[in-house]
Amino acid sequence: MTLLWGFLWGVAAVATIAGGAILGVWWERKVSARIQMRYGPQQIGPFGSLQMIADVPKLLFKEDIVPALADKAIFKYAPLFVFGPVAVSMVVIPFTAGWAPLNTSVGVLFFLAVPSIEVIAILLSAWASHNTLSTLGGLRATAQMISYEVPRSLAVLAIVLLAGSLRPLDVVAAWRWWWMPLTFVAFVIYFVASIAEMNRGPFDIPEAESELVAGYFADYSGMRWASFMMAEYGAMIAASLFGAALFFGGGWPFGGALGVITLIVKAILIMTAIMWVKWTFPRLRQDQLMSFCWKALTPLALVQLVVVGVVLVWL
Amino acid sequence: MTEQTIVNIGPSHPSTHGVCRVVVTLDGEIVTHAEPIIGHLHRGIEKMAENRTYLQVVPLTDRLDYVGSMYANWAYCRAVERLAGIRVPERAEYIRVIVCELQRIASHMMGIGSTGADTGAFTAFMYAFAQRDHVVELFEALCGARLTYNYVRPGGVSMDLPEGWVEKCRAFTAQHPSAMLELDRLLFGNVIARARLKGVGVLSAEDAVAWGASGPTARGSGVDWDLRRDDPYSVYPRFDFQVPLGENGDSYDRARIRLWECVESCKIIDQALDQLEPGLVKAEGLPRLLAPRPGDAYDHIESARGSLGVYLVSDGTPRPYRMKVRSPAFCNLALLPLLAEGHTLSDLVVILGSLDPVFGEVDR
Amino acid sequence: MAVKREDIITPATVSDEYAPGAKGFLQKVSSLVTGLGITARISTEKPVTIRYPAEKWTVSPRWRGALHLRGVLGRDEIPLIRHASDIYNGVIEDLYKGERLPPCVGNCPANVDARGQGFLVAEDRIPEAYELVRDRNILPGVLGRICHHPCETACRRNFYDEPVAIRPLHRFAYEEFQKVAAERLKPLPITQKQSVAIVGSGPSGLSAAYDLMKAGYRVVMYEREERPGGALNTGVPAYRLPRDVLYSEIDGLVALGLELHCGIEVGKTKPLSALQREHDAVLLAVGLQESRILPIPGHDAEGVIGALEFLWAANHKGETGVRGKRVFVIGGGNVAVDVARCALRTGATEVRLASLESSEELPAHPWEIEEALDEGVIATCSVGPEEVLTEGGNVVGMRVRECLSVFDETGRFAPKFGEGLSDFACDVVVFSIGQAAKLDSLIAGTELLVSGRGQLVVDGTHFTTSAAGVFACGEVVTGPGSAIGSIATGHEAATSILRFLRGESLTEDRTPRPVPVYAKYAVADVSGVERSRRRSIMPMARAEDRAKDFRPVELGLTHQEAMIEAARCLRCQSEICVGCTFCARTCPDYAIQVERVDEPGGRCLTRYDLDLSKCAFCGLCAEQCPTNALTHTGQYELSFFHRDLLIFDKGEMLRSGEGTRATGRDGVMPPGCPVPPRREQ
Repeated sequence: MTLLWGFLWGVAAVATIAGGAILGVWWERKVSARIQMRYGPQQIGPFGSLQMIADVPKLLFKEDIVPALADKAIFKYAPLFVFGPVAVSMVVIPFTAGWAPLNTSVGVLFFLAVPSIEVIAILLSAWASHNTLSTLGGLRATAQMISYEVPRSLAVLAIVLLAGSLRPLDVVAAWRWWWMPLTFVAFVIYFVASIAEMNRGPFDIPEAESELVAGYFADYSGMRWASFMMAEYGAMIAASLFGAALFFGGGWPFGGALGVITLIVKAILIMTAIMWVKWTFPRLRQDQLMSFCWKALTPLALVQLVVVGVVLVWL
Repeated sequence: MTEQTIVNIGPSHPSTHGVCRVVVTLDGEIVTHAEPIIGHLHRGIEKMAENRTYLQVVPLTDRLDYVGSMYANWAYCRAVERLAGIRVPERAEYIRVIVCELQRIASHMMGIGSTGADTGAFTAFMYAFAQRDHVVELFEALCGARLTYNYVRPGGVSMDLPEGWVEKCRAFTAQHPSAMLELDRLLFGNVIARARLKGVGVLSAEDAVAWGASGPTARGSGVDWDLRRDDPYSVYPRFDFQVPLGENGDSYDRARIRLWECVESCKIIDQALDQLEPGLVKAEGLPRLLAPRPGDAYDHIESARGSLGVYLVSDGTPRPYRMKVRSPAFCNLALLPLLAEGHTLSDLVVILGSLDPVFGEVDR
Repeated sequence: MAVKREDIITPATVSDEYAPGAKGFLQKVSSLVTGLGITARISTEKPVTIRYPAEKWTVSPRWRGALHLRGVLGRDEIPLIRHASDIYNGVIEDLYKGERLPPCVGNCPANVDARGQGFLVAEDRIPEAYELVRDRNILPGVLGRICHHPCETACRRNFYDEPVAIRPLHRFAYEEFQKVAAERLKPLPITQKQSVAIVGSGPSGLSAAYDLMKAGYRVVMYEREERPGGALNTGVPAYRLPRDVLYSEIDGLVALGLELHCGIEVGKTKPLSALQREHDAVLLAVGLQESRILPIPGHDAEGVIGALEFLWAANHKGETGVRGKRVFVIGGGNVAVDVARCALRTGATEVRLASLESSEELPAHPWEIEEALDEGVIATCSVGPEEVLTEGGNVVGMRVRECLSVFDETGRFAPKFGEGLSDFACDVVVFSIGQAAKLDSLIAGTELLVSGRGQLVVDGTHFTTSAAGVFACGEVVTGPGSAIGSIATGHEAATSILRFLRGESLTEDRTPRPVPVYAKYAVADVSGVERSRRRSIMPMARAEDRAKDFRPVELGLTHQEAMIEAARCLRCQSEICVGCTFCARTCPDYAIQVERVDEPGGRCLTRYDLDLSKCAFCGLCAEQCPTNALTHTGQYELSFFHRDLLIFDKGEMLRSGEGTRATGRDGVMPPGCPVPPRREQ
C-alpha cells in the first residue's frame, strides 16, 4: 500500500516538476527577454505561453546522440538520477498549513539531503561523456555542490532552531512574522547557496557556456538533455517553494487553498529573483566561488545561527 | 604537479570570437601553456587581391575585419590613393571619419559585449549589441548593408549621406554616452566582473611595445599611442578628443578603454557633423579602371583593434602586384600565450576576449 | 536617472579601484544593487526588438539584396512609338541613330510599331494595340491579311527560331477591336477651318486622311467605285481579303469623321478644279487603273485580258468567263499569282503561270507562290511571251520564248532571250505585267503636268505636284508596289499637306524617312526547338477546299494563341541592358556570366546568369551598370533546397524585382521597402 502511494506521489511529483519546468522555462524566457530589451516568445499562444508545449515534442523527437567513446550505460541513465532526487525532494514541501505530501519528522533534513544525490549523477554523466570539458564541468560541479551544502544547511538551521522541529509542517505552524527580519540574512544565504546548488548563474560555473560550452551535459541531446534542464528547473521550483515555506511562512497569512496559492506566488517571486540575479551578474571563477562559500557564506551563516540562538535565549 | 591535460578550445567554441583554436595545457585548472592555432579562416585575401582590379579588392577588404569593415576599406583606399595620387574631397574625408568612428563604436560594442558574455554577463552583451544595432542600422541606411559595407572607395565613398541621416546620427550620439555610462556601472562597476577581470592577463607597457601591440590592448597598459592623434591622418587634427588610458594592463583596463573610446568617438562624430559641408563625395575624373604608376605605398589608420596598415605594390597594371595587411588583431593575439600562462581556463577565455581579435583579420 | 551629456567625462585612467576598507565593501555591495536596479529599470522599458507580426520590419531604401535585371525581354513597360505623322520620321531616325530602333519597325515602310503591338497584345490590351497599329497602318485588319510583312522578315526572332507572327496579330487585333469598336470610335474633333479633299479611297488616301483628321482638319474623300477601298477593293482577291473587313475598317474611319463620297469619279462627275476651289488642299491618291498589255502579235485578240480587269471582274461579278477554260497568266508578280488563283476559283480547268524570272527569282512572295502551287497552279518559269496564237480572233494558245536572264550585271531590268520557243494551248491569256495610271480625265482643266509616259509629275520626297495645293501619293507616285508602301507615302503626303496648310516650309527641318538596313536572316534551324517556343501556326483552309471558292484561306489566331505569340516578341531595343558586360567584369567574385550577340541592328543579350552562391551583395555591379538595368532587390536572405536554384538565369533575373525565386512567389517585398528610386547619373 505504501509502495503504491509512493509510486503515485512519484508520478505526481514528476508531472508537477515537468509542468513546472515548462512554465518555469517560459517564465524565464519572458523575464530574461524583458531584462534584455526583448519580447521573448510571443508567437505561440498568448504571450508565447505555449512555446514550451511546442518545444517538448521537438525535444522528444530529437536524435538521441551517444558519443562513440562514451560509457554507454552510464551515459544513458545518468540523466534519470539527476532528475530523480529533485523530484523526490518535492514530497516534503508543506503546501499549506497542516498538509504536505509526505509528513515526516525529518522533512527538512530530507529536503537538504536527497537532492545531494544529484552530485553523483552529474559526476557520472560528466565522466561517461568522455570529454575533457564535461569532466572539468563535472569536477567543478561536485566541488561546488558539496561545498554549498554547508551554508545552505546552516541557513535552514536558523529556522529549524526557531521552530524547534525538523518537521516542515511544524515549522510552518510555528512561524511568526518577526522571523522574517530576524532570518533575512539566513534567507539570503539560503538563496545564494540554492542558486549555487542548482548550478545557475552567477554560479553556473560547471556548465559555463563560454568556457566549457555546457559543462557536464555538453554531449547530451534530445530528451536526455531535457532531463538536465528539467532537473535545474525542478531544483529551482523546489528551492523556491521550500524557501517560501520556511522563510516566509508558507501560506501565511492564509490557510487552505488560498494558502497554497499564496505559497506559489511567494515561490514565483523567489524564482523571479533567482532569474533576475542570473540575468544581471557575471559568473564567478571557481576559486572565487569556493572562497566565497567558505570565507563569506559559511561564517555569515554561523553568525546568523548565533544571532538566532541569542534571540532564542533572550526570549 | 599533477598530470597535465591538453584541452582543445575551438575551433568551434562559443568564446573563440570566430574560429580560433587554442590548444591549452592544463594543470588542474591552471593554464601552463596556451597556443593559439590560427589559419582556420585563411582565405588568401592578400593573394586574391593580386588577381583583382583595385576596385574589386574593396569588397575583399570588407572580409578582413568583418566587425570593422570600414577600417579595412579605408586603410586600403588610403594606400590606393597614395599610390595613384588621388585627392579625396573634403566631404568624403569627413564622411569617412564619421563612419569609421561609428564603426569603432560598433566594433567596441562587440568587444565589450563579448567581455560580458565571456564572463557570463549575457545581459551586458545584449545591451552592447542593442547599441551596436543602432550603428548597423545607420550603416544600412548609408550603404545598404549591415555587415560588409564596401562603402569607402578609392577616391571617396560610394554614396553620399542619405536624407535625414545626419539627424539620425546625432540622435544616436546623443543617447549613446549615457547608455555607455549605464553599461559601465552594470558591467565594469560590478564586483563580480571586477573580480573576474582585474589582475587577469596583465600586460606590461614594455611587453606591449615589444610585441607590437596596438590599439586598446596597448593603451590598456598605459602606452599612450593613438594614430589619430600621434600620426594624424585625414581630418582628425581638426577634432578635439581624448585618448583613454589604463594603468595596470589587465583585462579590465583593456575592456574598459573600449567603452570610454566609444564616448570619445561620439564627441568626434558630433564635431565632424558640425563641420560637415556639402560637396563631392568622390574624387572627380577617376578612371573606371585604376592603374597606378609602378611603385609602392603604405598607409595605416587607427582601427578599433589598433594600427591597421596596408602595403600595396603596383606594377602599372590595373591589378595590384602585391598587397600586405598589417593587422592589429594578429599582433595582439600573439600575446595570448604570454598573458594566459598561470591563469585558469576561465581566465583564458576572458583574456582572449579582452584582446578582441577578429579572425578574419588574423588569418586573412 | 538621466545623465547629462556634459557630465560624462572620460576618466584620465580607466583602472578604477574600490576604496579600501569598509567603504570598499559598501561599494561592492552597492554595485550589486546598482546592477539589479539597472536590469530592473530596463525591463520596464519598451523592448527595442519588434513585436512580430504587429510591428513591421523595415529595411533601409538602400538595401543590397539579390539582383534584378530590367529591360531585357522583361515584363516592363516598353516605350511605344507613337507620334504625330509630321514628327514621326524624326523620332524613328533618332531611334535609329541611337541604335534603339527595333528591326521590325525599321524594316516596315510605314514604321508600324510592331514591338509595341506585341507588348500590348501580350498584356491583353488589344484595343490599344489596334489603335497603336492604326496610327501608322490605317487598315490593320486588311493589312493583317494581305501585307507582305517586311517586319517579320527583319524580326530578330528569326535568329533563334521563327519570326513573331506580326501580321496575324494585326488581324487578330482588328477582330478583337471590332467587339469594342462602337465605344472606341468617336468622331475626331474638327479644330481647323481648312479642309482637304482626297481623290481615291485606297490605303494611301485613307492614311493621309486619318493623319489629317487627327490634326483637326475636315477631310472629304471621293471614290469612283461604288464601294471604297481602291485597289484593295478592286484588285485584291476576296479569298485573301474578305470585303466586309475592308468595308468595316473604312466604316470605322467614317465613324471617326471622314466624309466619304462613293461613286463620284473626279474628272467626270466632278471636276478636279472644283475640288481645288472648295478645299484648301487636294490629295490625289488615285492609284493605277490600267493594266499594261505587251504589244506582241495577237494581243488584241478575243480572250486577251489585263490583270486589273480580270481581278475586277472576279471581285465584283464573281465571274471572269473562264469557266471550263485554260488560262495562261503572263507575269511573275503577286498580281499574277492572284490572277492565277482567281482563275482557279472561277472555274478554270488549267492555270499556267508564265514568268520571265526563274523560279528562284520570282518577284511574287514565296508563300504566295507556294499556296498557288498547292492549289494546282502550274508555273512555267524563265519564259518570255512571244506571240498570242489566235484562231479566228480567238485565243487558242501562247508561244513563249526561253529567257536566259532577266537582269544585267548592274541589276537593271534587261531580259536576254534564248532561241527555244514553246507553245502552250490555252483559251484565255491574262497579262499581269504591271499597271499604269489613267489620268487624262482627272487632270483635264487643271495645270497639273504629266510626263511623257503618262505619269503625273510628282516630287517623290514631298509628294507635291506641279500645282500648288495639289498633292499626290500612293501607287500613282510610286508605281506598282505594296499596300504598306502606299500607306507610307500617304503619311508623307499628309505631312506635306499639314505643313502646306499651316503655311510652313515643306522641306525645313523635315526628316526624310530613314531606310535602315537590317540583316536578312537565314532560316534558323528549328529542329530541337520545343513547339511552345515556336511561332503559332496560322490555321489554313485545306488546299483542295480553298481552291473552289473565295472564302478566306487563313483562318486567324485564337485569343490565347495570339497572346502567346505576342509574348514571343523579344522587344528588341527596348531593353535597358545594353550588354556592356561591365557588371560581369567588375564582379569581384566572378558571379555574373553574360553572353551576348552583336548584330548590325544592335546587341542582344542571350545569357545572363548570376550565381548567388558566389554573390557577396557588394553592389559593385549595380553601381557600375551604365544604364541602371541592374538593381538590387530587398531579398538578401536566400536559401534554397538545391544548389542549382542559386543560379539565377536570365528569366529569373528578369522577374519582377519584388519577387524572385527567393520568395517563392511574385510581388513580395520585405514590408516597408519602397521601390528604390532610380539613381541619378
